[in-house]
Amino acid sequence: MSPTKQRTIRMAAVYVGLTIGAIVVLFPFFWMIVTAFKQPGQAFTPEIFPSNPTLENFKRVLTDYGFARYFVNSVIVATTAALFATIFATFAGYVFAKKRFAGRDRVFGFLLLSLMIPGMMYVVPQFAIINKLGWMNTYQAMIVPHLANVFGLFLMRQYMMTIPSELLEAAKIDGAGEWKAFMTIMVPLSVPIIATLFLLTFQFHWNNFLWQLIVTNVERLYTVPVGLALFRSQHEQSYTLIMAGSCISVLPIAAIFFFAQRYFIEGMTMGAVKG
Amino acid sequence: MRRLILLFAAVLVAALAAGGCGGGEREGASLTIWQTYNDEENPVFKEIVAQFEESHPGVTIEVVRLPFAGAEPKIMTALTTNTEPDIARVDVSFLAKLATKNALYDITAHVPAEFQAEILPVALQSCVLNGSLWGLPDQTNGLCLFYNRELFRRAGLDPDRSPVTWDELIEYGKKLTDADEGVFGIGVRNSLWWSLPFFYTYGAELLSDDGTRCLLASEKGIEAFQLKVDLHQKHRIEGGAWRAGGIQNDLGFQNGRYAMIMNGPWAVKTLENAGIDFGVGLIPAGPEGSRTNVGGNNLVVFRNAKNPELAVEFLMFVASAETQAMWADRLGQVPINVGALDTIDAEKHPYLPVFVEQMQTATARPQTQYYPEIENLMNPEMQAALDGTKSVKAALESAVAEIDKLLAGELE
Repeated sequence: MSPTKQRTIRMAAVYVGLTIGAIVVLFPFFWMIVTAFKQPGQAFTPEIFPSNPTLENFKRVLTDYGFARYFVNSVIVATTAALFATIFATFAGYVFAKKRFAGRDRVFGFLLLSLMIPGMMYVVPQFAIINKLGWMNTYQAMIVPHLANVFGLFLMRQYMMTIPSELLEAAKIDGAGEWKAFMTIMVPLSVPIIATLFLLTFQFHWNNFLWQLIVTNVERLYTVPVGLALFRSQHEQSYTLIMAGSCISVLPIAAIFFFAQRYFIEGMTMGAVKG
Repeated sequence: MRRLILLFAAVLVAALAAGGCGGGEREGASLTIWQTYNDEENPVFKEIVAQFEESHPGVTIEVVRLPFAGAEPKIMTALTTNTEPDIARVDVSFLAKLATKNALYDITAHVPAEFQAEILPVALQSCVLNGSLWGLPDQTNGLCLFYNRELFRRAGLDPDRSPVTWDELIEYGKKLTDADEGVFGIGVRNSLWWSLPFFYTYGAELLSDDGTRCLLASEKGIEAFQLKVDLHQKHRIEGGAWRAGGIQNDLGFQNGRYAMIMNGPWAVKTLENAGIDFGVGLIPAGPEGSRTNVGGNNLVVFRNAKNPELAVEFLMFVASAETQAMWADRLGQVPINVGALDTIDAEKHPYLPVFVEQMQTATARPQTQYYPEIENLMNPEMQAALDGTKSVKAALESAVAEIDKLLAGELE
């Protein structure tokens, strides 16, 4: 067998394997979209494509259930929180990575310890604080408590440590001030990790059911995860409606990933190729 | 870049201002209610609230609708900061927990004895703890036997008659099961609440009277659970619905895989929408007759409510015969006021009379704040027994040993 033929067979095998993997991974999304178009009660019938497709589920979800409102709330909360959390983490990561000050590593270690505390432990104390501040039923209650993101700080610091300090020194020699050096050297080189952190934080807030439920008492402030939960009553769930709601809820994350994927992939492969 | 950030900041401030405003001072008495009604019940409840506000001028009621899944943590968190509402709708097991933690208002003195006598006994019992009344029911339900009439016809069985005893059920099951086709006579769920009908029909009790011991490992309990296990192991009429990865009983029933399942009144609408030709019968009788478990929800008043008497009035309004008659008529649920029982329109809600009849022989769940933990201890053992990895006796006995330890911690 000629080398070219061998290669072709090997490539074919790889493609087949990857296609099967892709189908397995994408099937739940496919099922979600298809079910959203099915008639109520037909969610689990054996047919793959609905014989009687309907837009009724989407219409009901958006109008009867006020999902449009929940969607807007989630967009506001998730975008703002992700934006500010990323900004703070970037600044802090830069400081911990590139600056020297007394006790720097000890403080960092101490902050890392906080990652070991289960998230649920924060709920009651943070709720008490929110309450004392009079922030119940506000957007800031959903955004502010998670802005100081230690995980983000950790990501940023580790990444920035791999950026050679010589670049910064060179910029300083050329007369760049602190801010200029940061914005023109550190940030452009860290774009992959910044994009990744933005997406992760956005995703966290987009799915943060419990906290958003606890700090809101009025339906006009409910967010997408809380809204989706309203479709489940004690004993049963309306699958077609839930799937329609989920389709809508998946759009922003899919959009962000689609547009920013260049940066994620760049970030992931950055260390892979030498030279 | 900088301009983008400034723009965002401006939008944020605007959004916060819009979101943060709202809510002013209210004049006159007011009540806050947190409820967990589903989409059908919600509009009817809103009507009930409007009726109450009309008959009580000057009273404003604020209703917040919560998803059922998050209601318990939300209420518990609110209690830690004294931001709980006046009234909340809670599941019967949650009421025991709240009452034990002294979060509720004792309404025994505020509800006249004649009114208490109007309430369905099993429903009222779910609100009683340590001799005091802590709330009033707003919904009660219990499992009944649902059967697929089409599959009955095909197997040559009378489509209008469900099996009356467990032996009959086994007989029917054998005729209905066709393992090659993947159709089974029955599908059962594995959880303590869903197994209680089996236990109760044999006369096995869940807890001793003083709530310190679990009695499910008694002879009767073992017999009862053995019957359930045999449905799958011995008679092979059960389709493995309890297994991880098995077809769940609701879905199996909808897809015609299980000819019979246990289910409650909440399932009627979905099945009607799916076009299934089904009937509802009583739970088959064991030595103690036909019995079922009790679930449902209660309305409770919290201890720190500002207007407790007004709140109790609201509870009594919801539980009154007129309101319950409307509730049963609009939603097809079992009314909790016996005065409303004869107003049921059997044509509009053909299955309701069966549920009502079943509730007459339902066994109330003993009130304990540990019910969820008891379930968590029982379920894996029952799973092992259904699997065949443990004998029924061994499984029940080891579960009961753990549960007794748990309950012993209750006595300080």
